[in-house]
Amino acid sequence: MDRTRKLTGRPGRGFLRTLWDQRQLALMSVPMLLYVLLFSYAPLWGWITAFMSYKPAVPLFDNPWVGLRNFSWLFSRQEFLLAIRNTFAMSVINLVFNTVSAIGLAVLLNEVASRRYKRTVQTVTYLPHFLSWVIVVGLAQNAFATDGVVNQVLLSLGLIRQPLFFLGEGRYFWWLAGIIHMWKEAGWNSIIYLSSMSAIDPALYEAAEIDGAGRLRKIMHITLPGIKSTFVILLIMNIGMLVSGTNDGNFDIPYLMGQNLLIDWSQTIDIFVLKYGISQGQYGRATAAGIFKSLVSIFLLFSANRIARRLDEPTLL
Amino acid sequence: MSGINLRHNPRTSRWMNILFHTFNNAFLLLAMLITLYPVLNTVAISFNDGTDALRGGISIWPRVFSLESYRGVLADEFVFSAFQVSVARTLLQTALNLLLTSMLAYALSRREYVLRKFITTVFVLTMYVNAGLIPNYLLISRTLGLSRSFWVYIVPTMISCFNMIVIRTYILNLPDALVESARIDGAGELRVFWQIIAPLCLPVMATVSLFVAVGAWNSWFDTHLYNAGRPSLHTLQYLLKMKLATTQASSNMAMQTTTALAARAPTTPVTIRAAITVISALPIMLVYPFLQKYFVVGLSIGSVKG
Amino acid sequence: MQRKLLSLLLILAMMLPLGLALAEPAPLTVTVFAGDPFDQPTSDNKIYKLIEEEFGIKFEFEFLAGDLDETLGIKIAGQDYADIMSGSNSAEMLIDAGTYIDLLDYINETDTPNLWAHFEPYMNRITVDGGLYVMPSFGRIYNDAIVNYQNGPAFWIQKKVLAWDNYPTITTPEQYFDLLLRYKEAHPTTEDGLPTSGFEILTDGWRNFCLLNPVQHLMGHPNDGGVFVHWDDNYRVDVFHNKDYSKPYYQKLNEVFQKGLIDQDTFVQNFDQYIAKLSSGRVLGMFDQYWNFQNATDALIARQMYGETYIGLPLVYSEDITDHYIDQPVINVNRGFGISVNCKEPKRIVDMFEALLDDRWQTIFHWGIEGEDYYVENGRYLRTAEQKANAENPVWVNANKARALFFYSPKKEGTMDNGNSWDPALQPELYFDMMSEYDKEFLTSYGMKTPAEFFTPAPPNEPYYPVWQIDLQPYPDMRDINTQMGDIQARDLPRLIMAAPGEFDGMWETFAKTMSDAGQAEYEVFLQGIILEMNERLR
Repeated sequence: MDRTRKLTGRPGRGFLRTLWDQRQLALMSVPMLLYVLLFSYAPLWGWITAFMSYKPAVPLFDNPWVGLRNFSWLFSRQEFLLAIRNTFAMSVINLVFNTVSAIGLAVLLNEVASRRYKRTVQTVTYLPHFLSWVIVVGLAQNAFATDGVVNQVLLSLGLIRQPLFFLGEGRYFWWLAGIIHMWKEAGWNSIIYLSSMSAIDPALYEAAEIDGAGRLRKIMHITLPGIKSTFVILLIMNIGMLVSGTNDGNFDIPYLMGQNLLIDWSQTIDIFVLKYGISQGQYGRATAAGIFKSLVSIFLLFSANRIARRLDEPTLL
Repeated sequence: MSGINLRHNPRTSRWMNILFHTFNNAFLLLAMLITLYPVLNTVAISFNDGTDALRGGISIWPRVFSLESYRGVLADEFVFSAFQVSVARTLLQTALNLLLTSMLAYALSRREYVLRKFITTVFVLTMYVNAGLIPNYLLISRTLGLSRSFWVYIVPTMISCFNMIVIRTYILNLPDALVESARIDGAGELRVFWQIIAPLCLPVMATVSLFVAVGAWNSWFDTHLYNAGRPSLHTLQYLLKMKLATTQASSNMAMQTTTALAARAPTTPVTIRAAITVISALPIMLVYPFLQKYFVVGLSIGSVKG
Repeated sequence: MQRKLLSLLLILAMMLPLGLALAEPAPLTVTVFAGDPFDQPTSDNKIYKLIEEEFGIKFEFEFLAGDLDETLGIKIAGQDYADIMSGSNSAEMLIDAGTYIDLLDYINETDTPNLWAHFEPYMNRITVDGGLYVMPSFGRIYNDAIVNYQNGPAFWIQKKVLAWDNYPTITTPEQYFDLLLRYKEAHPTTEDGLPTSGFEILTDGWRNFCLLNPVQHLMGHPNDGGVFVHWDDNYRVDVFHNKDYSKPYYQKLNEVFQKGLIDQDTFVQNFDQYIAKLSSGRVLGMFDQYWNFQNATDALIARQMYGETYIGLPLVYSEDITDHYIDQPVINVNRGFGISVNCKEPKRIVDMFEALLDDRWQTIFHWGIEGEDYYVENGRYLRTAEQKANAENPVWVNANKARALFFYSPKKEGTMDNGNSWDPALQPELYFDMMSEYDKEFLTSYGMKTPAEFFTPAPPNEPYYPVWQIDLQPYPDMRDINTQMGDIQARDLPRLIMAAPGEFDGMWETFAKTMSDAGQAEYEVFLQGIILEMNERLR
């Protein structure tokens, strides 16, 4: 009997029967499912504290219920609404910058003929990943100061007449944060694309070579299609993160360089939650904000996934 | 590959190639310069005299050479044991995580698997739901009793969803024929995974081990939460994080007091911070080339096929 | 091959913790949580060894590497309390959660005479609802407090600027900024060719007190805690930053900003950049607290740029106001060790603290071992150059001082009965030893011996003083208002200082209104109520 046939779940076959046939696959995945249910889902009981005036010292159900008050408090605060806007804007900018720089760097590296040069460039560009945000942001604050190197270059190129106050004007902040993030992480982010390029069959390049295709043509028709599924999958995942934000892009950078006159542009949800939630012992608020982020994330994730499916692109789910 | 059968004038093409390479190399050189600068700057500061470094302005060479920061950090008698703990946790966590994550990725890459969609969704959602610190802490510390033990570094970190997706995407990109042919031979799933898929996945496995290893090596928060009271289980990053915090905290502590007793900063943070960065990144740096060769130079699928 | 490697790793990793877990038996091991970061003391630390020999007590320390509030929240949720704990700046969370036992069950006149005498005069202040949960670790002064220099706030100015103007007496912001302007005009660059920076305002994170605090001092008040309390008007409280009397100061800053004395980058620079600027010697003046920029002073001294080091001036709005920059030490309520409900032998630990408070142990903690860490000459405690260097060397300190334990323990400060300073850093001989010839001459030109003489000695404190000790933990609404007002000040005051000449007044109105919309009046009335209640209780 044809084994492949048997393994393919056909409509009309009993679910359990198919599962029994696929028991080896189940063995490779169901224990992990139980694991993740325990470690990621069981602690979600904590979400009920969003509906309480919760104090950790008090046994859980002795805390007073407050209904939706934590949520309504959050959405009544102008700062929280600004924080949503800032988180979203910075996430979008980061997503675009990081994706473009990672793919760009990977593609260009892929075109380098010398293996040694390729490895050297790759190693060097990924090194800043190991610097802490304090160091990187500190250097950026030097570079973008009124008398910093960026203003000097722009002045000497004649692009500006007066030094720009990059660090003190809100309209620059999101872009600056994006550039700093890209500076530190482009090399690191490109690794994933490099590894997916390594799966491209070299025969394709050889064939194109014989056909006399130029560099750009090979990039457009072989390299980029070869990493497309990685790109789409990462994109879907990241779209899900647009409002929840990341630890570095939406906390470290704005926390280190925005806690002053720029606060209207730099305060993200996580910073707001730290200041008005955790630091004040208001865990209910922190949890409420967390639930809000999760719900929006899941909505974005499924929407992105659905769009990808409509466009007949690879999907995450 | 419909577009590439267009013929080009070979001379124009050669010209274009040279132009492309010039541009490419110039761009990569620039990228190297702007990413190398912060690194060299940090190294230079780490070898500078602490008090002198306070006035800033050091670029890529120390102004007043000194080893005091390294001496200050490495003099700690717990550094060596912390290094051992860090190495052990990184190796074990990486090995286990890689094994379990890639096995799961393989199972979820099989389109006909009936639980595929359900399990994938359950895993993907973990990236977007977060219970908050306290419930997680209570689970690991109270329910599972993992505090004050080495296993708290391993048990909660055995599978990573992001990496699973990365590996799964890679497997889905592999030519179907390879898998099919193996299956026709009558091989079980475990054998297909172990003997056919895993070797083909070396580049992505190398990438994922790098992700896991760097994450494991750099983490200090679990030590802080669960093992802070057990110096013998401190990791290197935790120790260094503490050292950094100590040099920065003295002025914060001065606010608690009204006298000079605590005000004095014991060392200057700028150079210590740089030295700590170098010390903590160096071991990963040394291991890096061994992983890098898999995804940078790549692995010819054709050769495996043949 | 892969499998072999994996199993090898497994075995390796399993052996590690086993080998490390073998604890040696000890009479009593006390677990300690400290709400600040410290280095682990070496295992053969000199002082901890002495304690173990005398009391049979060993310590297992847990220090703080992460965020304090987050960590305390977790400890509370898990009831994971060490035997003795310091909650540092958030100790109220622990008290509120019932972490601590009432120490008055153990501390009394007969059983613990040292601790009783130490705390008895302050008992009303340091107890919460009649219970003593935390033993304050600082601010209990014996005999006289020694003040050689101002460690706290002042308007600072480079000594060479005063020398250049022939050692004038500077009392008001008018005079101060006028001198800075004149000096900067005469010296647009430093000797190294760096552009002179007139006046710096640090605004980085919690250090933005450099921006927020000056006005209370200009009004002749000490650093109360973000508010100005009208002592002569029933303790009415002002969050003073948007009041009419604050306007002249910020308007003055706006004026000198227009004249180029202040650089816009000062509002976006981080602490490192600020210290770098100060250390380069190009900054003429700033408002700050001494301990905050002490590192920069060290850097200047290391390059023998004595003229570029700073002297603190107690500026006030007008000559008829008496300055109040230096205040009397206050006992550090709720900051220090308490004993947790998890502790098995509280009596034994209290007895240890009792013994550690006698003069012999206090001398060991403060000064060390006679002959090793200091010597005595004609009854005065002194240190050789090597002993001084040791005391500043963190590696040595880790092996030879009980820094973490002592930091949070009840301690004696001020002057010993034999006239020496308890704190070696304040011993006058040691202080003058370190003073440069330049500084001595500079002070002589003003007819003074110490930098502290620029300041009026501290008058007695009001009973409630200071507001920053008031625990807002039980009043979440007030904490919200406080946080929000802090954000508004940090955002708007720099903009006001940088405002174009015609725009200042309008922007000031908006700022004043934004502050009051945030609940300012409510907060002020609330604090006044607390202050009146405290005064009632403590007077």
